[in-house]
Amino acid sequence: MSETMRSGNSAQVSLPVEGMTCAACVAKVEKALKSISGVQEVQVNLLSGKAAVTFSAGQAGVPQMVKVIQEIGYEVPEEEILLTVRGMTCAACVAKVEKAVKGLPGVTSVVVNLPAGSAKVKFYPGAIDKTRIKKEIKALGYEASEKLTGQEALDREKDARQKELRYQTRNMWIAWPLASLVMIGMFRDYWILPYFVPKFLGNHYVLWALTTPIAFIPGWQFFKHSWNGLKRGATDMNLLYATGIGAAYIIATINTFWPYAGFGGPGATFFESAALLTAFIVLGRFLEALTRGRTSDAIRKLMSLQAKTARVIRKGEEIEIAADEVEIGDIVVVRPGESIPVDGEVTEGYSTVVEAMITGESMPVEKRAGSQVIGATMNKTGSFKFRATRVGSETALAQIIKMVEDAQTSKAHIQKLADFVAGHFIAGVHVLALIVFFFWFFIGYAAFFTPTSQFVLSIYSLSQVGVFGFALLLSVTTLIISCPCALGLATPSAVMAGTGKGAENGILFKGADAVETSSKLNAVVFDKTGTLTIGEPSVTDVYVTAGFTRNDVLRLAAMAEKSSEHPLGEAIVRGAKDEGLAVGDTDDFEAIPGHGVRAAYQGQKVLLGNRRLMQQQKIHIGNLDEKMEQLEGEGKTAMLMAIDGKAAGLIAVADTLKENAKAAVERLYQMGVQVVMITGDNRRTAEAIARQVGIKTVLAEVLPQDKAAEVKKLQEQGLKVAMVGDGINDAPALAQAHVGIAIGSGTDVAKETGDIILIKDDIRDVVGAIEIGRATMRKIKQNLVWAFVYNVTGIPLAAGILYPFTGLLVSPELASFFMAMSSLSVTLNTLLIKRFQPSFRREQEKSGMLPAHQPQPAR
Amino acid sequence: MSMNENMNMNMNALEKKAARKASVTYTTVSLVVVLVFLAITLFDGNTYTAVARIGGMIWVFVLSMIVSMPIVIPSVKKKIVG
Repeated sequence: MSETMRSGNSAQVSLPVEGMTCAACVAKVEKALKSISGVQEVQVNLLSGKAAVTFSAGQAGVPQMVKVIQEIGYEVPEEEILLTVRGMTCAACVAKVEKAVKGLPGVTSVVVNLPAGSAKVKFYPGAIDKTRIKKEIKALGYEASEKLTGQEALDREKDARQKELRYQTRNMWIAWPLASLVMIGMFRDYWILPYFVPKFLGNHYVLWALTTPIAFIPGWQFFKHSWNGLKRGATDMNLLYATGIGAAYIIATINTFWPYAGFGGPGATFFESAALLTAFIVLGRFLEALTRGRTSDAIRKLMSLQAKTARVIRKGEEIEIAADEVEIGDIVVVRPGESIPVDGEVTEGYSTVVEAMITGESMPVEKRAGSQVIGATMNKTGSFKFRATRVGSETALAQIIKMVEDAQTSKAHIQKLADFVAGHFIAGVHVLALIVFFFWFFIGYAAFFTPTSQFVLSIYSLSQVGVFGFALLLSVTTLIISCPCALGLATPSAVMAGTGKGAENGILFKGADAVETSSKLNAVVFDKTGTLTIGEPSVTDVYVTAGFTRNDVLRLAAMAEKSSEHPLGEAIVRGAKDEGLAVGDTDDFEAIPGHGVRAAYQGQKVLLGNRRLMQQQKIHIGNLDEKMEQLEGEGKTAMLMAIDGKAAGLIAVADTLKENAKAAVERLYQMGVQVVMITGDNRRTAEAIARQVGIKTVLAEVLPQDKAAEVKKLQEQGLKVAMVGDGINDAPALAQAHVGIAIGSGTDVAKETGDIILIKDDIRDVVGAIEIGRATMRKIKQNLVWAFVYNVTGIPLAAGILYPFTGLLVSPELASFFMAMSSLSVTLNTLLIKRFQPSFRREQEKSGMLPAHQPQPAR
Repeated sequence: MSMNENMNMNMNALEKKAARKASVTYTTVSLVVVLVFLAITLFDGNTYTAVARIGGMIWVFVLSMIVSMPIVIPSVKKKIVG
């Protein structure tokens, strides 16, 4: 997505890293990258599999980073692009293109073929992108376009997941059948097994032959990864597995070939430990590969919306090109049922477009000349043409994907702590394993060992185990059970699912911190104008006196105001037009500053203005004065009207509440959130609006520059405050608040200030954002509590705390089963967020108001 | 030779030096822990078989290496490479 970003001497890249499986891997990669001189900051995200690196451009480079990542056993996948390069005529052109492209940071190889007019470029995605490569070639004077169209990113990601799944499936096929045979062989003398299991299966040499391929084929990945990490001083959970499997296998081997060497004798071969240990760990890896990608479904769904091709008119002809080749200013043709390839403005035609996939808006939106269209939305029945206004990384979809990805690669405070713990966990567990070994070797065995000792859920006897074998068993089991996977997965998986759920509903969280803080909010400050209200005045009431009709009064008032440029006058003209009244021109017009207007139409003299205007003209307004006061008390601006010297009526104009504002405020109060309205308006108007919307606390007559100070005052009262407002005008207050929520930004999300961007102009999404934040944090806390409880109870059990009282030990294979289940349970618990819906959405679905608009793959 | 290549060569030499020094340090630390283990087996009053003693020493060495390597390598590297 992103390419090398440079600011001053610092540059930033976001490199994809394959092969990370837990938080310890994250810590390992971070540590390795930080060890490169010149690297200033590293943030690695496990689930998105990306490492964001800020570095000093003069001191460090992408190849160095890639090398370091590869050395510790992970992969930085290269991407390949095949370009059509037109305009090359000789070998010099080939060299020129090759040299220019090769000089780009992040490009690893370039092969230009003159006869074929093509260039094959290999590069690290995240360090550079395709557009930059094409731009470089175009700058040399050649035409460059992609030979393959779209979808590669999705396919590549899918391929990588499939590859990992295939690899772990193969390991499962090797580990499980063999491990089952080993287990049957080990216990063939017990229960009814002697009747069914052939004797040779219990032979130690056969068992050794069956266990060896398990340890060295599916298990090899753990030895390889841990050694690569250790060489650079980095550890991860592979090391726990490797030491566990290695120790169990070596003891089994020694006791097979040298049974009287003193390692427990022929009765303590523990083949099933080495075999089942590996099998369970591989099972965990397999299940992870199966479930992990699902938490990032939102991004995948968004990416799948991207249209692959576009029909554009060039040189008067309609041609089909790759969507990413559409340029700003191109006229794009869209037919019924097609996906819109880029953002633009309709120039001709009419249709309705489903925008639910981008904005969350459920109803199709009408599009006619002048309307804005968003790339990746779906045209329904009509055809239209539009002018491309935003292409490539500037489109709404690209910005949204970028924002969601950024949010998913950021870390919540709570995650930083979990990462720190998980990162130091491995070393801590090895220290613990050492302590456990020392204790059982020097004290525990002599004090507590009994020949009747057994493993939990096993009939295996430990009677022949000597002091070393016994202490080693407990030490290995402690290593195995202590995997910090659950701890490492707890937060990022939930953040990923939560931000994805937000994006589905048109709620974009800019970072994990925004998700975390939004869950803690207990006060929401709404800007009035443009946030709670529509932001422009409209006609709310028309009263007429006897002898006049409503239509006449409104029509004449609109005609009189037609020439005025006053916003209230514009509101009356708009009001009349909305009611289908013909608003013609007056014969005469005069604006009376501070009072109103005077006009003449077909002999009728029209006056429209305030009380003073009527007093000056000596017009008796009768009971209209009482009505006027009542309307003013409601925060409306009322204008009196007189026709031919007689009071004809009054027209009230006010900024009106947005649909759903009241419902949203009500829901916030129900959630225990304090709601405050802030405005520069006078107190009477402000309170009138607050009454209508149901807000009890009003901060009126606050100048725009003082809004941030008011937010600060609330924060000083100990409240966690969100400010909801226009992302541009209310920027200081949005920045001051714990969470700034920019509402109704439309699709140009990149411009917005604020931690949460609401694409739609629907106040209820503020409630949705808080609900998603709370649901996500609930999930994180559940996951962390589970991970904590697992480790706190598992480790002492594995270390043999119950052994002195029960004579029972946790076997290494049982420990590995627990370990695999702990990670799986965290992932499955997180996946439950998929079922979560913000309350308003849920209600809409229940009442059947929401058409089921599932994002559809683009053409 | 370009400046970048020069810089890389210097870096590689420094990194090799750091790796050498680190390996000596963590091996020494691990051997010290092993000696402590051996000393206890000799003087704690219990009788241990040679296999238990040697096996224990190997296991203690392995764990000590695993614990000390991630601590020693980065700190030595930081001192030497910067």
